[in-house]
Parts: sequence; structure tokens; C-alpha cells
Amino acid sequence: MKTSSNQKDQYWNPVVETLPPRKMRELQLKKFKRILEWAYERSKFHRKLYQEAGLEPGDIKSYEDVAKVPKVEKAMMRDIQRKDPFPYGDALCVPLEEVTEFRQTSGTTGTPVYQPDTWQDWEWWAEAWAYLLYAQGYRKTDKVFLPFGYNIFVAFWAGHYAAEKIGCEVIPGGVLDTEARILKIQELKANAMMATPTYVLGMADTAKKKLGIDPARDLTIRKITCAGEPGASIPSTKQRMEEVWGAKVYDHVGATEIGAWGFECTAQPGGLHINEALFLAQLEDIETGEIIEAPGRKGKIVITALDRIAQPCIRFDSKDVAEWSKDPCPCGRTFRIIQGGVVGRADDITKIKGVLIAPSAIEEVVHSIKGLSNEFEVIVTKKGDLDNITLKIEFLPEEEKNQEAILIQLKDQLRLKTNLGYNIEVHPYNSLPRYEVKAKRFKDLRKHA
Amino acid sequence: MSRGELRKIDTRIKTIKKAAQELKQLSGGIQAIDRNAERILASVKMLEINISDVRDLV
Repeated sequence: MKTSSNQKDQYWNPVVETLPPRKMRELQLKKFKRILEWAYERSKFHRKLYQEAGLEPGDIKSYEDVAKVPKVEKAMMRDIQRKDPFPYGDALCVPLEEVTEFRQTSGTTGTPVYQPDTWQDWEWWAEAWAYLLYAQGYRKTDKVFLPFGYNIFVAFWAGHYAAEKIGCEVIPGGVLDTEARILKIQELKANAMMATPTYVLGMADTAKKKLGIDPARDLTIRKITCAGEPGASIPSTKQRMEEVWGAKVYDHVGATEIGAWGFECTAQPGGLHINEALFLAQLEDIETGEIIEAPGRKGKIVITALDRIAQPCIRFDSKDVAEWSKDPCPCGRTFRIIQGGVVGRADDITKIKGVLIAPSAIEEVVHSIKGLSNEFEVIVTKKGDLDNITLKIEFLPEEEKNQEAILIQLKDQLRLKTNLGYNIEVHPYNSLPRYEVKAKRFKDLRKHA
Repeated sequence: MSRGELRKIDTRIKTIKKAAQELKQLSGGIQAIDRNAERILASVKMLEINISDVRDLV
């Protein structure tokens, strides 16, 4: 393989990012066997899981055999937590004294899971983020602002370390409030930023309404990396962010238990690359468990972090729903692409009035309608045998005279894109909840009825 | 980058790894040596992931 100077500048590591798919599968199989053996030898949890399935690491001989390995569910990780060795339990594969990092999941779907990492794992986290930031055009000349609370959630911590690794100047926004963060971006002329889509839009609102600052005109942010929510892969939400900031917005997907496994590149192919050098992702049919290799069919992602050692992540059932793209990316990376990013979560996709729907489909419609604010809320209830969906919205103050036309457009688009009718409630501007990190806009109250 | 070039790089990675491991053996328990050598080894692992693991597949 020849590597041109152009390639060297385009990729963090052209050797693996342009590896032919067949070679990539060979690399992944080699690394999968290695991490499986590591966990089998060191973790009681993993050994028991595999022994009960009648499986030993030596049984994995081909790429297809990977699917024989039992999956790990988040609930299983919750069950072992707080047992010996405290607080992680017996999936820990290194002596406790080698753990240098503690993080926990956000608890969006239940009790938080604790995640230990060694320093080597932490280097690996930064390495995975370096791949994605480099693919999104981050270079050592960039000045990167991180407006998040540096705390027990992994959030953008590894983004900070990866930006440093690339050589960027990193400005930690930490405990500053939103106004102070905006003023610091302006003062230091930061040109890149990482945040959740909700916060990206919220910052722009604050800049305009409280500081009289137009982010696109008065600030210098020209690329934004999003994570934590699907918004940057929802076309209308992405467009809102790009317009208001005058910046390119890139999506990234990861999880505390897994790592930073997917990213959008500057070619923006309408989907996310999976970092196949560090992760082995399989798409599995939600009903049958069949492995999906062909494009155009949705499944959930079952994923392995191939090099993470303290608490290995092997065939983790992410519940993230996606489908393979049929097209290669113009960027030249051979890492496979999931079309449209993560389109939902297996435990979020729900049947309302007999129609299967992902909350992201409603967000796509609301954010495509000019005149509506960024905030909305969806509440599903049940009356007798009938499902009801209420959609709470806000009009932008300057659009109140156009309410009737906007409402007609909204109802039409909802019917067209989601096949459902909604009770629409209009709320005063700025009265719906605002979120700084992960927004909780979809509330299904039927389970509690 | 050719397989030959990758092998040369891999050889240097092994040299650094060996040197860092030797530093730990020679440290006499001095933490300033041990812990910094440990950090070097974590970085070396990233080089292995990026180059050594894929060396023979190119």
C-alpha cells in the first residue's frame, strides 16, 4: 500500500482507514480473539457467561463465529456492580490499583453503570476521539472550546484529550455559565466546539437574546462536533445548528461502556463511519437476532471494543438502531457507514396507534418548520384502548402572526412523515424545559397508566 | 506505506517498548521513573494498535 502526502494529511491513520474490507475483517477477527481470551482468563463474569454457553475462546475461528459469542446487556453490567471488587464487580480484568479513571453512564435508561479504565484505556479513548476529530478537520492550528461540565460522565472528556493529542489549543469551558462561555469564545476567537445538539442550539439562543450576539456573524466557531443525542444526524436539526452558528456540524456516536465508535467525516456522506480499526460492530435483526450484512435493513448494533482492557466491552447490545449504507464514502475511508447515523434506540422505538415510530422522526419534522422554537415535548398517554399523542410546541416570538399557517404546515408534515395525528398544544415562548445535556423530550406515560 | 516500511516502524516500536520495560526494571522503585515509563508503555500500545497489529495485513 502506498500512502501519499495527501493521504497523510487527510487521515489520522491512513494504514487502517483505507484498509480493504477483507483485510479489515481479518484484523478485527485477530483482535476479537485476543480480547475474548483476555476477558475469559481474567473476568469471572465473562468466563461464566461463556462457559454457560458452552463456548471457549478457541471456538472462534472465523469472522462469522463472532456471532456465536453471547451478548452482554446493560442490565447484566448493572447486576454485577457494587460487588467485589467494589465498586465494579467481577467483569474487572485488571487489579483494582491499575484503574486510573472512573466514569459512570448518564442513567438515562436506569441505574448508572460504573466504568473503570486503566491509563492505557484512557489513551485508547483519546485515540478513538483523535480518529474522529481528525476526520472532522481538527488540526493543530485549531482553538477548541469545550462548554461542558467536567464531571463523572464521560461526555467530552476524551474529546478534550484527543484535541490536545492532535495538537489543538484546548479551552475548557467547565463551570462557566452559558453567557460566560459565549463571551470566552468571542474573546479567544475559538474556532471549534464540542457539545450536545440541544446545548448548541441553546447557546445560540442565549447569545442572541441575552447578549445580542449573532453566533454566525459575531463568533468564529466554524466546526462543531456533537454527541449525546441524535440531533446532528437529523437533517433539520443539523441545518438549524449550521445556520445559526455559520459552522459545519458533525455527528459522533459513542457510549461510556463502549467508547467513541462512530463519526461523521468532512465529506458528510449522510451517515456515520464506524471506526472498524478499534471496534467490531454487527447489525442484528431486532426480532430474530439474524446478522444483517446487506444495506437498507434496520437492526440493532452489537459492538465490541477491540482494545479496551479494564472492563472489556464484548458483543455489547447497544440497542442503537441503524442500517448499513450501500454507498462508499467520497472521503476514501473504507470504514463502513451507517446510513443516517443512529436512527433510534431499540427500547425507544415504540408502537403508537399501531404505527412504529422513533422519537427522532418527530424531531426531524418540528425542526424543519421555520417559526417554531428549538424546544418541544411529546407525551404519549392511553385513554381506554386508545393511544394519544400530545405535541407541545413554542412559536418564536417574531412568528406569532404566522401561527395559523405554521400549524397547518406542522400538522401536514407530521401526518406525512410519521403517519400519526397529534394533539398540538401551543405554549408560550421559553416555557418548555430547556436542557444543557441530554434532552428528555419524549415521554411515554402509557407504561405507568 | 509498504509492508517493509511498516515493519521498520514496528521494529522501532518494539525497541521503545523494551526500553520502557527496562526503565521499570532499573528504577529501583522510584515512582518518577516507574509511572512515567508506564505512561510511555500506554502510548506504545497505541502505536501497536495503529501499526504493529496491522503490519502483516498491508
